[in-house]
Amino acid sequence: MTAEVTGATGKTSSGRAWKFSSDISSDQLISARHVFEFDPRMLRHHLLAEVRPEFAQQAQPGDVIVAGRNFAHGSNHSHPFLAMKALGVGLLVRSLSRGPFRLAIFMGVPVLMVTTEVLDAIDDGHQLDIDFSRGAIHNVTTGQQMQVEPLSPFLQDIVNAGGGLEFVKTTLVN
Amino acid sequence: MGATMTQKILARTSGRSAVEHGEIIWASPDLVTAPEVSFSAYIKRIREIGVTKLAHPERVAVIIDHEVPVHSIAGAERNKLTRKLALELSVGHFFDGAGITHPLMVEQGLIAPGMFAAGADSHAPGLGAVGALSVPFGFEVSMVLATGQIWMKVPETIRVRLNGACAPGVGARDIVLATMQQLDDEATSYRVIEYQGEGLSTLSVPERMTICGLCVDAGAKSGIAAVDQRCIDYLREHGVSNPQPQASVNSDDDADYAMTIDIDLSTLTPRVSIPPSPTHVREAQAMSDIVIQHAYIGSCVSGSIEDIRAAAAILRGHKVHADVNLLVIPATQQVFQQALQEGLLTELTAAGANISPSTCGPCFGGIAQLTAGERRISTSTRNDPGRMGSNEAEIFLASAMTVAASAITGHITDPRAFAKGGVQ
Repeated sequence: MTAEVTGATGKTSSGRAWKFSSDISSDQLISARHVFEFDPRMLRHHLLAEVRPEFAQQAQPGDVIVAGRNFAHGSNHSHPFLAMKALGVGLLVRSLSRGPFRLAIFMGVPVLMVTTEVLDAIDDGHQLDIDFSRGAIHNVTTGQQMQVEPLSPFLQDIVNAGGGLEFVKTTLVN
Repeated sequence: MGATMTQKILARTSGRSAVEHGEIIWASPDLVTAPEVSFSAYIKRIREIGVTKLAHPERVAVIIDHEVPVHSIAGAERNKLTRKLALELSVGHFFDGAGITHPLMVEQGLIAPGMFAAGADSHAPGLGAVGALSVPFGFEVSMVLATGQIWMKVPETIRVRLNGACAPGVGARDIVLATMQQLDDEATSYRVIEYQGEGLSTLSVPERMTICGLCVDAGAKSGIAAVDQRCIDYLREHGVSNPQPQASVNSDDDADYAMTIDIDLSTLTPRVSIPPSPTHVREAQAMSDIVIQHAYIGSCVSGSIEDIRAAAAILRGHKVHADVNLLVIPATQQVFQQALQEGLLTELTAAGANISPSTCGPCFGGIAQLTAGERRISTSTRNDPGRMGSNEAEIFLASAMTVAASAITGHITDPRAFAKGGVQ
């Protein structure tokens, strides 16, 4: 069973791990040839399509992309994160460069930065229960419980609001 | 403790006297740039949450640059909508086919020392050439359009001190590739790269756009160049009548840097980024076994009059190799006109080059696509697999001089053998 729940205390998820290597570039996440497409319902079909075609077909809400360092480096494209939001998947990464990190938060994609030890303890296909607000990761497949630093409260507020525009909606003068 | 250029800019735009590294602030950009790629998508999204007008339309520049001339029905519809929205929302600056966003902003005098710019496009940091902080925000630009504000974690700065001058055949691209060789993604992440030193004054403002614009490909948040007299002179010639004095914009002597690296420009050699990343840097002279079929000179970071002059100088007295297709795209219409007046486009076409109207086109695979097994050497920004078409095509990135020399020989070529008289 997979699910994504946003409660008063923040995002939790339950789903499958999709594991990728380090240095997956933004252009590998979604090819630059789709740069003019901004409809999340279309973009979700292109996410990682050229790296792992079955991902976009099979990913369910609550699943997480687990990747090494320097995730989404290169182009500062919003498209992969629009697609992740549409698919309802979260992110566990060793490191994420600044542009894509911001875009993940802005789109309301739940993110945790994890250590190499945590990465090594998760294999592709493992079932994970994650409490993003607490940084708690339970590998249901192996039974292992892991703890990482959660996002700062400010960033969690943006993610929990559903993204940057929802977060600022209340302050708009219009 | 003094402040870096970046701290000074973010303090001013957040209404503070000083800001600390790592703190989160809300800043108010002085300029917002959005190309036709995404502008209408941003407006659609902010209208969904009830926003009907832009917070500061006079600060917004909308630019049709990625698909010029338009070559799809979808593009024609997008441009029509973009023109309509720009008019409806009273954006301050609208450019339709006048050139690529970043060089256009600099050339038009819309960016000046000490300003903070928010860009939709990845290579917005090019505006750092004139001592401004220009940060790419992608879809977050929609928030700036709606509210006039953006949150920022105040970034640390990496200081790159340039000394000496480049030898003939070596240029700005080689400086930024040398920087990438010394800084990995963990060093650059969430930091600004600031260039300073006497060597910076050997570079023109467009050459500074090359070294600042490509900082994003080194993994940095942005790139910025210290302001000197050469920069001030350039700005005055381009309509910025009263630029801020250097001392108030430049970093204080006792500013706090995350790290400092020194580069002696006189020791640099021509370099090439090999697939699959701009940060995979090799010596051009070690790459001569790489045969190429395509060569491209252009893009927001290398389509300046200096790049075109440098390419023409290399090609003078030579022809493009029979098996190579050389495409040259001046970055803006002004550069195009200047190159016409100087006779450079006549020379380049006589040597066998094709010239296209100013556009981002080939850089992201919008035109002049590659098929499997083909290779291009290019002055553009990125060489990810599939960036210019087929995933099985290979892209090598280098200076206009290295691209021109390679177009002559048909394989990657160190341009020093062809260079006659240096970077200028």
